[in-house]
Amino acid sequence: MAGLKDADDFKDGEHFKGAGLLKFVLGIVGFGGMALFLLLAFFWKDKTPEMAYSWLFAVVFFLSLSVGGLFWTLLHHASNSGWGTVVRRLMENLGSMIPFILILGVPFLIEGCGFRNALWEWFPEREAALHSAEVETEAHFAEYKADLEADVAKADAEVKAGEAAISSQPNLKPGEKRHLEDKLQVLKKQAAELGEEDLSDDAGLRAKLKDDYFREEAALLHAKQGFLNEGSWFVRYLLYFIGLTGVIFILRGWSIKQDRDGDPKWFLLMRRWSCGFLPIFAVSWTFLVFDWLMALDYTWFSTMWGVYLFAGAALNSMGLLVIVLTLLRRAGYLKNVVTMEHYHLMGKLMLAFTIFWAYIAFSQFFLIWYANITEETKFYLTRNTDFWNVYTITFLVIGHFFVPFAALLIQKFKMMPAVLSGIAVWNLIMHSLDIYWIIIPERGVSLTNGTQMTMPGAWLFDLLAFVSVAGIFGFFLLRQLGSASLFPCRDPRLDESLNVVN
Amino acid sequence: MSESTDSSKQLFGYVAEFSSAADLYHAAEKVRDAGFRKWDVHTPYPVHGMDAAMGMGKSWLSALVLAGGITGSCVALFMQFFTQVNLYPTVVQNKPTNLFTLPAFFPVTFELTILLSAFAVVFGLLVFLMLPRWNHPLFESALFRKFSDDGFIMVIEARDPRFKKEKTREFLETIGASQIEGVEY
Repeated sequence: MAGLKDADDFKDGEHFKGAGLLKFVLGIVGFGGMALFLLLAFFWKDKTPEMAYSWLFAVVFFLSLSVGGLFWTLLHHASNSGWGTVVRRLMENLGSMIPFILILGVPFLIEGCGFRNALWEWFPEREAALHSAEVETEAHFAEYKADLEADVAKADAEVKAGEAAISSQPNLKPGEKRHLEDKLQVLKKQAAELGEEDLSDDAGLRAKLKDDYFREEAALLHAKQGFLNEGSWFVRYLLYFIGLTGVIFILRGWSIKQDRDGDPKWFLLMRRWSCGFLPIFAVSWTFLVFDWLMALDYTWFSTMWGVYLFAGAALNSMGLLVIVLTLLRRAGYLKNVVTMEHYHLMGKLMLAFTIFWAYIAFSQFFLIWYANITEETKFYLTRNTDFWNVYTITFLVIGHFFVPFAALLIQKFKMMPAVLSGIAVWNLIMHSLDIYWIIIPERGVSLTNGTQMTMPGAWLFDLLAFVSVAGIFGFFLLRQLGSASLFPCRDPRLDESLNVVN
Repeated sequence: MSESTDSSKQLFGYVAEFSSAADLYHAAEKVRDAGFRKWDVHTPYPVHGMDAAMGMGKSWLSALVLAGGITGSCVALFMQFFTQVNLYPTVVQNKPTNLFTLPAFFPVTFELTILLSAFAVVFGLLVFLMLPRWNHPLFESALFRKFSDDGFIMVIEARDPRFKKEKTREFLETIGASQIEGVEY
């Protein structure tokens, strides 16, 4: 009550300086590690397939944190929130990591890297099936065409025979005549159907025959070819990039413009457009995880996949925000801007999303476990075999849910930056183990055709990839933090946010 | 309303009106510092930070809810394990009847946890607030009624150990009450 803060006192913002050494070290570790990793992947051909999984793991983990930042920015505007204006710039900065991380996914696009075919079997399998269909078509086309021509001729002959049978017997009883006429109708229909085939169109006939062979060869890939084909895969990657990057850059751009001119129209624009941007975010992220993660085994599917990955992303980017905020405050920034009330609110959101993640993760497991349908249980069977079973129970059930749930229930913990950051770090570790659990069990099974659950020693690649991408992520995050005020200093809602009480 | 002289009636407490939320807030800090326990403030809208100004500790309700929730979980798990695993093992969809049946019992456990937590909130609140009751002495006061319109009201009850008939009235005047009324019952 006493001493309400006035937003006018804060209109110059706070600018993040320094941390040059840290940025330098992170840059060296990140880019150096990435160079080492990619060189290893390029020259150590035996290990390239294993390293593909490591790279996917690291990229998806950091991408999920960035996408979470985008989600919180959008949600903040769309729900017309006032509490979080002081931390909104941090959300925007986190979201603006998306293009940098998506660019790290470029090795997946280049077939020559060997990453793509090792990760997503449907690429090589589809190619092989199409190739063998092509070979079969070449071998059997003449035969096929001859058969078709013979069929057409035969049908025509049958029609003629039928007509002759009716006209040659003038004394037929009405019933017999009717019977023959009916038969003739059927024959005519058959002949007409066959006659629709354009026998002179060799290319069309070839395509039809090839499609038949493709279906015979790989029925599932044939059924899913509308989604699982190279062309649309590349187009989708491009759309994710444009969609996710475009949304966060527009919002962050408006927000920074408002810092300069203080015009509330930017605030209104952000609020209005965020509702429209939310579906872009939701569709992009959902299909991205379909393409990158669910397609690791193209025979498996889950309708809760998108929301499962979203829950983890939202929870942990909130955790990362708390950590970044605490470190910034340690370094002397935002001391007078962010209060324990903000920590409390962010802690509450962490608790809510801890529960939400568990709810979604359990529901997905529960429905598949109970229905017990072969094509669905595959995912969990792999992840309940060998040491993955203990892993799941320890890290996902206890570590990812029960521990942070119990800790975050305590009100005091949510108002203590150090404790809340500790919980957030714990959550981040569990999230990395969650992403690891989604991607890595597929590695042994896919690469050894099911004879091995794990690849010995491959965890070193996982670690190297993780550290490299972490370094790059940290480097760009520090760069983005320094590029604008640490909070939207001339937002109309700043007053409300500075004095928030909950 | 003037103070009654009927000797069969007792003083319930003083109702004091303050002119603004800020005045009430600062007055509350002073009452808190003076060590009163049985008192409350009533305002037309929530005043942020009032709980701190009144020196209120954390409510026990959350502990009660936690107890309710844990009871719900335990009861649900016990009932299901006892009936479906121990007493009469029920095989559904070829699922095991041992500890690994646990996932099947989660929905019921989850629901019962929430149900008993909600019961703990509702009935706990009723007990803590001593509700329901037919009437309350404060309803006799016309001044008190203003809290739902434009009045910022503070009530100090006579059962407070620090309550002194004259001194408390003077105290309320010194901390800025614009109107004071004694309520009897």
